[in-house]
Amino acid sequence: MINGIFRKLMKSGGKSGSKNVAKQRLKFALIYDRLEVSDDTLNNLNRDVIEVISRYFEIDKEAFKLDIQRYDDVSALVVNTPIIATKHKNKLNL
Amino acid sequence: MEGRIIVITSGKGGVGKTTATASIGTALAMEGRRVAVVDMDIGLRNLDVMMGLENRIVFNIVDAVHGRCQLRQAAIRDRRIKNLFLIPASQSDNKNVLTPEDMIRFCKKLRSAFDFVLMDCPAGIEQGFENTVAGADDAIVICTPEVASVRDADRVIGLLYARSITPRLVINRIIPDMVENGDMLSHDDVLDVLSIDLIGLVQMDDRVIVATNTGTPLILQKDSAAGEAFQRIAKRLNGQYDLPIIVPIPSKSIWKTIGTRFGIRK
Repeated sequence: MINGIFRKLMKSGGKSGSKNVAKQRLKFALIYDRLEVSDDTLNNLNRDVIEVISRYFEIDKEAFKLDIQRYDDVSALVVNTPIIATKHKNKLNL
Repeated sequence: MEGRIIVITSGKGGVGKTTATASIGTALAMEGRRVAVVDMDIGLRNLDVMMGLENRIVFNIVDAVHGRCQLRQAAIRDRRIKNLFLIPASQSDNKNVLTPEDMIRFCKKLRSAFDFVLMDCPAGIEQGFENTVAGADDAIVICTPEVASVRDADRVIGLLYARSITPRLVINRIIPDMVENGDMLSHDDVLDVLSIDLIGLVQMDDRVIVATNTGTPLILQKDSAAGEAFQRIAKRLNGQYDLPIIVPIPSKSIWKTIGTRFGIRK
């Protein structure tokens, strides 16, 4: 029994240390920080994506939607746009 | 030969940028290089008191950049250490009196006059940071093993990479006993989350406070663990790239060990 108490005392330092909490919190904070996108970036991306898609499709620019969605530790760029018509090959201005 | 301009930065305040600048600068000068330490914290200068040179300021960096004095008039020579110079910040202006373009021009002058120029960057990532990194060749990021400090370091590292500067990391104020007890992030933990190379590990040291009280360089303090660590960082900057990085070890006093185990001492 005494042996058990002694072992408990010896262990109490290493395992329950607060640094593991710190590391976990830090990792999540950095994931979120690195995923943060500025409004400027988002607006520019919005404009460029519309431009590229418009070369191939006629789209409803008003209904065009671009969004960044975050899950636990991944983020996804979601683009949603109604297509009105496909542009024909000879009309493509490449 | 052209000198190198090295920015000492951290994002977060109070992690030891100024102490590191003064100490590494002093150590480089003692290695025989011609060194200038530059206080870029316009309006809140501190490097001068840290180095004990506050009574000798006549001109400052703003005067030198705006041509109101020569570079050598603004550079205060340290009388204790050969080849060490301080260019103090102005205390009355604000950060907007300098621009990144000003600094790029000024850095050219500094490179031709010194082997090493260490720039003590103000905390934050605003104008003062922009000015400091504008003309820099290299950067050292300082952080302490705490969540807030590491997080800010990550942000600053990203900003430096965006400017094509590859920074190296100093972890400051390590308390080895706490690391061993699992109550402080170890340097491996920190390196795990930051994508950066290490250039030094510095442990918490009472001597730093004594050195700042008296304005004497930490490097000249006897038995200063932090001073020795900064000296080794200086040697690495000065070309001894293979000098091993020493991990601070816990004090092994038997009474302290027993005390910690039984919760009497922390």
